[in-house]
Amino acid sequence: MLNRSRLLIRPPPAARLAAWLARFFVLALLIMTAVDGTTMAYEPGQEPVDTGELPMMLRLTFWTLLPVVLITIASLLWSWLLRRQVAHRTRQLQRELGERQQAEAALRESEGRFRDVTEAASDWIWEMDANLRFTYLSERFYALTGIAPQHVLGRARWELATAESVADQQKWRQHRGTLEKHQPFRDFVYRTHIGDRPSNGRYLKISGKPIYDDQGRFVGYRGTGTDITEQIKAETALQQSELRLRRNIDLVPHMIFAKDRNGHFLLANRATAAAYGLTVEELVDRSHGVVHEINEEAERMLADDREVIDSGASKLIAEESFTDHTGHARIMQTIKIPFNEPGLNETAVLGVAIDITEQKQAKEEVARMRLYLRNIIDSMPSVLIGVDPWGYITVLNQPAEQACGASWEIAQGRFFGELFPQLESQFEQVCEAIRLGSPIKTPRMTLEDHGELHYADVMVYPLIADTASGAVIRVDDVTARVRIESMMVQTEKMLSVGGLAAGMAHEINNPLGAILQGSQNILRRIALDMPQNRAVAEAIGIDLDRLNRYLEQRRVLHFLEGIREAGARAAKIVADMLSFSRRSESRFAPVDLEDLLETVLRLAASDYDLKKKYDFKRITIQRDYDPTLHVVYCDKTEIEQVILNLLKNAAQAMAEDGASCPTITLRTRREPHYVLIEVIDNGPGMDEKILKRIFEPFFTTKEVGSGTGLGLSVSYFIVTEQHRGKLSVASKPGQGACFSIRLPIGREALS
Amino acid sequence: MTGWVLIVDDEEMIRENLKAYLEDEGLRVMAFESVTPALGWLCEGDPCPVCIMDMRLPDMDGNSAIRILHRLYPEMEFLIHTGSSSYSLPDDLRAMGLDDDRVYQKPLSDMAPLAAAVRSLSGRENRS
Repeated sequence: MLNRSRLLIRPPPAARLAAWLARFFVLALLIMTAVDGTTMAYEPGQEPVDTGELPMMLRLTFWTLLPVVLITIASLLWSWLLRRQVAHRTRQLQRELGERQQAEAALRESEGRFRDVTEAASDWIWEMDANLRFTYLSERFYALTGIAPQHVLGRARWELATAESVADQQKWRQHRGTLEKHQPFRDFVYRTHIGDRPSNGRYLKISGKPIYDDQGRFVGYRGTGTDITEQIKAETALQQSELRLRRNIDLVPHMIFAKDRNGHFLLANRATAAAYGLTVEELVDRSHGVVHEINEEAERMLADDREVIDSGASKLIAEESFTDHTGHARIMQTIKIPFNEPGLNETAVLGVAIDITEQKQAKEEVARMRLYLRNIIDSMPSVLIGVDPWGYITVLNQPAEQACGASWEIAQGRFFGELFPQLESQFEQVCEAIRLGSPIKTPRMTLEDHGELHYADVMVYPLIADTASGAVIRVDDVTARVRIESMMVQTEKMLSVGGLAAGMAHEINNPLGAILQGSQNILRRIALDMPQNRAVAEAIGIDLDRLNRYLEQRRVLHFLEGIREAGARAAKIVADMLSFSRRSESRFAPVDLEDLLETVLRLAASDYDLKKKYDFKRITIQRDYDPTLHVVYCDKTEIEQVILNLLKNAAQAMAEDGASCPTITLRTRREPHYVLIEVIDNGPGMDEKILKRIFEPFFTTKEVGSGTGLGLSVSYFIVTEQHRGKLSVASKPGQGACFSIRLPIGREALS
Repeated sequence: MTGWVLIVDDEEMIRENLKAYLEDEGLRVMAFESVTPALGWLCEGDPCPVCIMDMRLPDMDGNSAIRILHRLYPEMEFLIHTGSSSYSLPDDLRAMGLDDDRVYQKPLSDMAPLAAAVRSLSGRENRS
């Protein structure tokens, strides 16, 4: 605009030329008029006078022609000058025109741009007069605010304002002061309710500067304004959204935080702050190193932060220790992500840490429990086979692995009957147990193991967990128990036999006495070496020698011997049977152990049966007595019977074996709770099968008729039942046998 | 001449066999099936240093018989010959000097030890 005004003020060259021409023409006219006037004065309106008519003519012609010539010359000169001037001016004009066209184009462009800007921009232009009343508002104002200009023009800004709060009033006072002082201002924000949408207040942001006229008088303000309602709304919405986000992240129980590369907290949720015993406000802007008490942890975390910041890649820390402000160690799972935010100068790190302490503990607990349960099932002596409803193996415990000779890994998924052929018949029970939901027991199932009969209690338990149905087959080898039970049954039988025998002993022993004593008397009274016999024989006239020959020939003596032996055996059985009765401890007394053993050795040496069948004198007796051991509290005769029995068994076994140097070792030892008496032979020994049954009543390895089969069971009864001791045997084929009697030491102390 | 050996036993064959054996050993033996006739016989005054006493007797039990005989004849020695497996010596009999060695369990497959005991007891009587 200024540019245009300068162009208008300067006079153009063509105009100046015209002015010059005009001035020259006027001068020529004045000369011409003066000449004409003189002439006319002489002969106004008459023909020229003859006196001096030629010079007069000449003069007239001269005067007539002079101006013409002058005019012509002047015209030519003028024309030339003019032409030059015009050419020059034309060039100048052409140049100026070009410039002007360029300027106008630039102006048009500028105006267009200005228009575009004013129309397209969110800003409008306003002007106010020296009284600070609005005088002008650009069209954008209405378009942007929806407020009709007539509501505004002629009014002061503060008349449009909504000033509700004290702060607002204060703000306005300040603004008004600024305006009244004619100071420029920027970005003044206010709220207005003017217009056709009074309920919707608009937020306006204005900037302005004072304008002055040429004389420097203040004429008003001119400035721009923009409607920032949407922006404010967006900002409010953003704030609310941030607030909501804030609330949400505070609700999250996990730690959410952002830190810069120096460990300063840029952001933290409540869980994070709480872990440090602080509020969010206290934590933010503080350094991690300051709030975290455990240095190594803080350093490690800072290193992780930097790694993420430097690499620009997020990092998952599956497990890390974190000690909170109470000193409680937690296990965290943390993810750290590079974090860029417009407000930040450099990349930070955003972290989310989840407390997995309980999870981990639970996991460890599960693992521990699994191991524990595994240990339990492995430690159980029972064979445990877990199967699915179709009989395929899911679990084997260690005894089961040993039983089938296959590891769980190998056995898994195979049909159990394949690995435990003897249990295959249990498949029915598996199906039945699952169907009924209750266990099924097969007691005393007979199984064969290497040709030996075993007893097993087989129990099938259904698994009733929701996830895995199936069953567990439990197999308990009860062979030993069955044997013990049968032994106990036998023992009970023996006890009742013993009770019966005790009641009948008198009745049986008297006739046995008659038989035994009678046969002894008969043998004595036919013996040749008794003087009385000879005397009687002579008196009645019988030859005793011949009688004896007769009796021998007719085998009478043999039969008598048979009666005697049979009687003796019957007496022995009765005596053994009587041993099965429990006796009172009244017979218990302190006994010198060495004396007892020596007595037994003497008895053995003179034992009728031993003397007859096995030569006890051939056997070497080794004595290995504990010198500190003297007195044992026991029923002397019973223990004598037990040891004698063991000696007899040993002698018999060694005689049958035909051992070259049969030896029996008698050994005594003191044990913490027992007195140990061992009878060790170097005979043929026994295999396991015999060992298992050796104390069973009526079990005998001897030929029929040579033993009652009660000897060891009576010994067992005496030691275990009557003396509360132990009787055990150790032996292997070809390696002799060792019988160990343990009598409680307690009574020894009593004596 | 040693004194008599008294046998009290209700089982005739036992009584007879013991008597026969001891007589073969040269001892004088009187045998009764119960205590009462034995007491009657003892009243006659024959010296009797040893008595073999059964326990179950028709008129009284052996222990009581021993107590009576001991009161009447304090010098008399006793051997007990019983068929009862659960017999144990009462304390008062032990106080008289009896012990388990004096108890002989029926049946006796060999009467020699009993005879030896009788001989030894009657011999002691003689010496004293």
